[in-house]
Amino acid sequence: MMTAALLPFLAVLPIAASAATVLWRNATWQRVWLLGIPVLTALAALDLLLQHRDTPVIAENVGAFVPGVAIPFVSDTFSALMILVTSFTVLMCLVFMTATGENRYRLVTPLVLMLLGGVNGAFLTGDLFNLFVFVEVMLLPSYALIAVTGTWRRLGIGRTFVVVNLLTSTILLIGVGLVYATAETVNLALLVGAGSDPRTMLSSGVVLLALSIKAAIVPLHTWLPRTYPATSASVMALFSALHTKVALYALYRITSTLYEGQPPWIMVLAVLVGLSLVVGSYSTFSERVMRRALSWQMVAGVGHIMLGLMLFTQFSLGAGIFYMIHHIITMGALILGAGAIEQTYGSGRYERLSGIIRRDRLLTIGYALALMSLIGLPPSSGFFGKVGLVQASAQAGGAWQAVFITLIFVGALGSLVAMQRLWVGVFWGPDMEDYLPDSPETGRGAKVKLTDDIRVTPRLLAPMAVLVLTQLTMFVLAGPLMQVTTRAAEGLVELAPYVQAVTG
Amino acid sequence: MILPLTIGVLTAGAIYLMLQRGMVRIIFGLSLLAHAANLLILSAGVTAWRGEPFPEAAGAADAGDPLPQAFVLTAIVIALAVTVLMLAMAVIGHNDDTKRMPETGETHRR
Repeated sequence: MMTAALLPFLAVLPIAASAATVLWRNATWQRVWLLGIPVLTALAALDLLLQHRDTPVIAENVGAFVPGVAIPFVSDTFSALMILVTSFTVLMCLVFMTATGENRYRLVTPLVLMLLGGVNGAFLTGDLFNLFVFVEVMLLPSYALIAVTGTWRRLGIGRTFVVVNLLTSTILLIGVGLVYATAETVNLALLVGAGSDPRTMLSSGVVLLALSIKAAIVPLHTWLPRTYPATSASVMALFSALHTKVALYALYRITSTLYEGQPPWIMVLAVLVGLSLVVGSYSTFSERVMRRALSWQMVAGVGHIMLGLMLFTQFSLGAGIFYMIHHIITMGALILGAGAIEQTYGSGRYERLSGIIRRDRLLTIGYALALMSLIGLPPSSGFFGKVGLVQASAQAGGAWQAVFITLIFVGALGSLVAMQRLWVGVFWGPDMEDYLPDSPETGRGAKVKLTDDIRVTPRLLAPMAVLVLTQLTMFVLAGPLMQVTTRAAEGLVELAPYVQAVTG
Repeated sequence: MILPLTIGVLTAGAIYLMLQRGMVRIIFGLSLLAHAANLLILSAGVTAWRGEPFPEAAGAADAGDPLPQAFVLTAIVIALAVTVLMLAMAVIGHNDDTKRMPETGETHRR
């Protein structure tokens, strides 16, 4: 069904739909596009994933230029898997968005669709400059999304996000320019092994620096926990599924292509990965608000994903990709669950919430399962995610083995205790007496006595429940899924089919 | 030599402006940095001795590389869009240099 010629449409279609929803603002029409496009891209990605069992890479050189000059769109198992997982998670975030009514704000539908188009493009592009363009296409609607769904306070915090990301994009652009100056091409298929030239090594380092800021690797992470929790829950879930993951995908892709797995700054990477694992986990202690605590856990997750890249064996890459998928889905479930609580009771603060365990049983069960997944306890996808990374570290042997296995456990222990504080604060304790109801004029109204009929509605709960079930399915079907992630990793190690497909 | 110096001056100015408090000054800083990046990409086409990127005018051996110019064109368009968006955010956001929030009736308890 999907052919190489259709690959650009995965990016073009959402952007065209974005235009269509700006021009015609009928509510039903907008909702059809808002929910239809992620379904469509997820199905297309699934089809691509099935095709890649036989043909590992398909590529399309846009504009009928000769290969090498044309802009390539490339799909392999890794990119198809990422599009499938992100589109699915985005769909759940959008279902949540329709439940909270945020999609009725002006222009939210087109902005989200444009965001999705940029993300799909960034996953499929085989050209560094085009990556920069799609990252910008992805970021511009994000700036506006913070402003549109936010209150005045959120707008102020949104500025931090805007300035940091714009500066980073400019650094990325400078890096791409330098790569062109030193390697004379920005086509990834022609850049294979170019990192062995010391000049290209330095210039591509600028690209990797920019992507590291976007991926929020410690010590370049401070913008993330400050800005993400300030947006609304559905927008935060969207961003957490898309933005940092695109940057991580690009880091995987570029490192494996340019250096063929032997980045010269492996020691720097090792230190950063170790720091991310620990800093993310232990900084969670400082927070007393659900989504702020979760944003620190995102930083810890980045450390885990980058560990797979740092060790760079086919097994460790597969484990890293598995962890990335697990992280997208689990984080989505946790943020949407926190969003459902905030929407209903008007607060995400530990001290304002208590006794949810007796009020909303289904939500509590789902949240417990998602938290277990975050920490890596069975039965959850996080268990196999961490087992994979521990195995990969053990295979690395030597000092890496001891250091990283210790750090994974130390990090998991920190997360466990920190998440218990969230658990005790929000789910245990006496029944709540009052709450802050949602008010369209002022955001949050005054304190009102909590009556028995105020519960988390099934509509708010459903998206989170689906993500938790997906995560449990990943636990049960970990074997087949790991085969897919291993195939994705194979595409990063064996570059010949990629080059073959692009250069024809 | 003029090109590296210009890039240096633009970057220095950009960093100075970005460290200021007001949003509008940060935006000016970011657009200066975008100019610096554009000139840097342009210099990747070896501006030192090459001519226009048209083989008919400059001869195939001396013609500049057209690809960096195409990059810069795209980057300029993106920078323009970003600047417009940022200026819009500066207008609707806080009063530029103060920390006081506008009276909107919103409450900020969480």
